[in-house]
Amino acid sequence: MTDPISLRLSRSIGASSLMALVLFAGATLYTATGGSARELLVKELLINLMLVLGIQLFIGNTGILSFGHLAFAQIAAYTVALLTIPVAVKSQQLPDIPFGLGSVHMGAFPATLVAIAVALLVGGLIGVAVVRAGGIAATMITLAVLFVVDQLVKNWQELTKGAGGLSNVPTLDGTMWLWVGGIIGLFVAHWFGETRSGRFAIATREDEIAAPALGIGLFRSRYVAWVVSMGLVGLAGALRVQAIGSTSPKQYTLDITVLLLAMLVVGGMRTPSGAVLGTVLITVGNEVFRQLGDPKRLDIERFPDLFLGVALLAAMLWRPGGLLGDHDLAAWLRRRTRRSHEPVARVPPTRTAALTADSIEVRFGGFTALRDARVRVGPGEVVGIIGPNGAGKTTLFNVVTGLVSPVRGTVMLGARDLSRAHPEEVARAGLARTFQNLRLFGNLTVLENVTLTAMVSAKYRPAEPPIDVAWLLQVSGLAGLEDRMASTLDYGNQRRLELARAAALSPEFLLLDEPTSGMSDDESLEMVERIRTMGAAVGAGVLVIDHDLAFITTISDHIVALADGEVIAEGTPSEIRRNPQVMEAYLGSAADDETASSNNGDE
Amino acid sequence: MTTLVQNIVDGLGRGSTYALLALGISLIFGVMHLVNFAHAELITVGAYVAYGLSTLGVNWWVLVPVIIGSAVLASMAVEVTAFRWVRNSSPFTLLLTSFAIERLSHALWQVLVSPKKQTFAGPEWAFNTWELGGIRVEVMDVVTIVVTIMVLAMTALVFKRTLFGLAVRASAEDFDAARLMGVRANRVISGAFGFAGLLAGIAAALILLRSPTAEPTLGSDWLIKAVVAAIIGGLGSFTGAVIGGLSLGLAEVFFRSYLPDGTAQRLTDAFVFVLIAALFIVRPAGLFKVTAAERV
Repeated sequence: MTDPISLRLSRSIGASSLMALVLFAGATLYTATGGSARELLVKELLINLMLVLGIQLFIGNTGILSFGHLAFAQIAAYTVALLTIPVAVKSQQLPDIPFGLGSVHMGAFPATLVAIAVALLVGGLIGVAVVRAGGIAATMITLAVLFVVDQLVKNWQELTKGAGGLSNVPTLDGTMWLWVGGIIGLFVAHWFGETRSGRFAIATREDEIAAPALGIGLFRSRYVAWVVSMGLVGLAGALRVQAIGSTSPKQYTLDITVLLLAMLVVGGMRTPSGAVLGTVLITVGNEVFRQLGDPKRLDIERFPDLFLGVALLAAMLWRPGGLLGDHDLAAWLRRRTRRSHEPVARVPPTRTAALTADSIEVRFGGFTALRDARVRVGPGEVVGIIGPNGAGKTTLFNVVTGLVSPVRGTVMLGARDLSRAHPEEVARAGLARTFQNLRLFGNLTVLENVTLTAMVSAKYRPAEPPIDVAWLLQVSGLAGLEDRMASTLDYGNQRRLELARAAALSPEFLLLDEPTSGMSDDESLEMVERIRTMGAAVGAGVLVIDHDLAFITTISDHIVALADGEVIAEGTPSEIRRNPQVMEAYLGSAADDETASSNNGDE
Repeated sequence: MTTLVQNIVDGLGRGSTYALLALGISLIFGVMHLVNFAHAELITVGAYVAYGLSTLGVNWWVLVPVIIGSAVLASMAVEVTAFRWVRNSSPFTLLLTSFAIERLSHALWQVLVSPKKQTFAGPEWAFNTWELGGIRVEVMDVVTIVVTIMVLAMTALVFKRTLFGLAVRASAEDFDAARLMGVRANRVISGAFGFAGLLAGIAAALILLRSPTAEPTLGSDWLIKAVVAAIIGGLGSFTGAVIGGLSLGLAEVFFRSYLPDGTAQRLTDAFVFVLIAALFIVRPAGLFKVTAAERV
């Protein structure tokens, strides 16, 4: 993704044309051996392909389930029908047509463009609500949209002729334009995965908390995905009506939506390859079962429905990631075309800003988690926060990174006030964090994890000199693991990867939440070295939380001790070690601490 | 005035059925974060069982408990055979699993019986109406409302007073913590499915008394409304599901009665869905934010 645009383009074109060629060869072979009636299945396959790729582009990249995409395909289909049906026929079919549409007549090409524009416009408006809501609420809005459009089409008879639908739409000959549409769909789906918006959307899919904490806002990339997917399903709807010559609400129901979703999840929703495989398997399977269920054969009515239910259920129970999971032609091409180079070390920029949090007070209901907490980290300094479980360490982190709003107090980075900033603004300002419970982008590779934040840095921290990801991985001890899925790494390497991912933001400060929790003493010592090197390498100061006194006193220049939401001591490591209050708060609870930490207690 | 009262009775009658179904959906969401799109298939199961037995001449006094029993069994069977295996998956996987089951249920009835609607005889009293001061009230509306009130009271008792109810509420709060305290996950979840099946079975009996037909897609018409009702109320909220169901029923009846005739009238459902979409835009968590005390 940091690859040059020519390389990214040629990868997308390569993957798309390879798939199109295979499909074309298969289709030609199929139609050549069975006569022109077989062309129907090819048409159906191509229309499904466009729709599924459009749906994949949104669902697969954002992780938000949508039932509403077909509604916009339907809008596009009716737009084309209303614009292209000859005026004389229209006056018969729709005598009371509103908006003066009765006298409008357009050719296929302009009508298709208008239809896509309408889908983009209507979809774009509704998408604001869908993407903002996120999660299950977004899914329900899309479901409501599907029903509203369905009801409108069925009942606005002056415009749509109701449930029977519109016919006599001028058709496009043969399958050529459907192939063009399919190839456009393939290309757009692949290209989106190569763009920054695409990569950022995937990050939000993988973790809705980690993505903003690294500077990736939830709205923008998801909205881009939504709008682009609207364009694709709009194209599919516009071409479908012109391939069949008629349109009716029966083609855009919840049942058909579930059929398309089944294609997507059976193949694998996270990649275009999965979408293509699923579309082929389910479309062909449906046809096979339709023929098997024919009265002349097994005589089972609605046999394909049974096949669909079994296929969907089987996919969910055995392979919820789909048959292909994360295997993807485009990703394979990405790995093959990656140019390896000697890692380039970077001269760390000189920093002058200090990070200060002052008089922070946080309440959760009646419980005061922090009262008058403070911490200051000078440029390039390593500051440790210690305290027993429940002291408020992570809460202080969450305040600094914008996840929790304080009742009182200020957070400043140099002269910039971050007290009320959103997590992504905090990250873009130059604070990168890790999480106590590890929040990696699990279905992405090690390289992709780190590259993502490097892209954030390039986009939102343009003043920073670019950082070489290969070098960063080398410094982190992850060289050679570039193509491993983050979720398959062992625990120590996952911790290292999280550190590398934060460092790739080229931050002013690294905020590390218990970077050695669950590590052995040897690993902890190694981590001390790594954190110090990493901080120095990217020129970042470090604020680190831990309850391991030995670790904190080894790594820190300066230590803040918290207990019950208050600062009980501050000073150099040796001062802290001698401080009686710290010893009491700390050793007094050290025994509880052991048991608590084995429960993975969150503070 | 009389139309107003009539509309309220009609709306509550419809809404009661939604409420019973929504409560089951909300309950299951509470224990496993599944929006169960297969829930209304339990109505279809009850319908086909009733249809099968009524062709053998079985009396309605026997049919009603059998309908309810079959829904309970079917609900628990689906949990054991399907949902148990995806229990800890993402809400996305859970949702699509329930969709798969809904599809399978449709397909099975189509293949096993017929895609066509099967009508059988209902009890005669169910079609009577009463005249009360100029207001015509359908017997079934009254039965539905009374039964729903009783069932809701029973449900409240179960969740407040029994160990099972406490376990379900605890699990909805924090499943892992509940397990550490000795709550048995399998038992609670299958109990929740059984209870949701009971509520759906009662709803099915009320629906079938009113309109004794069985068809593969019978459940689907109710499903969407029930899911919507559960979500309006805030998934996982007991009170919310009931209020969501009742207000959806009332909204439908009032829209139908006060919208001008013609296109607008036919667009009742569309208006209801527009309102619902608007609700989510304003309050993504539903009307009743689930709080610790209220959660089922």
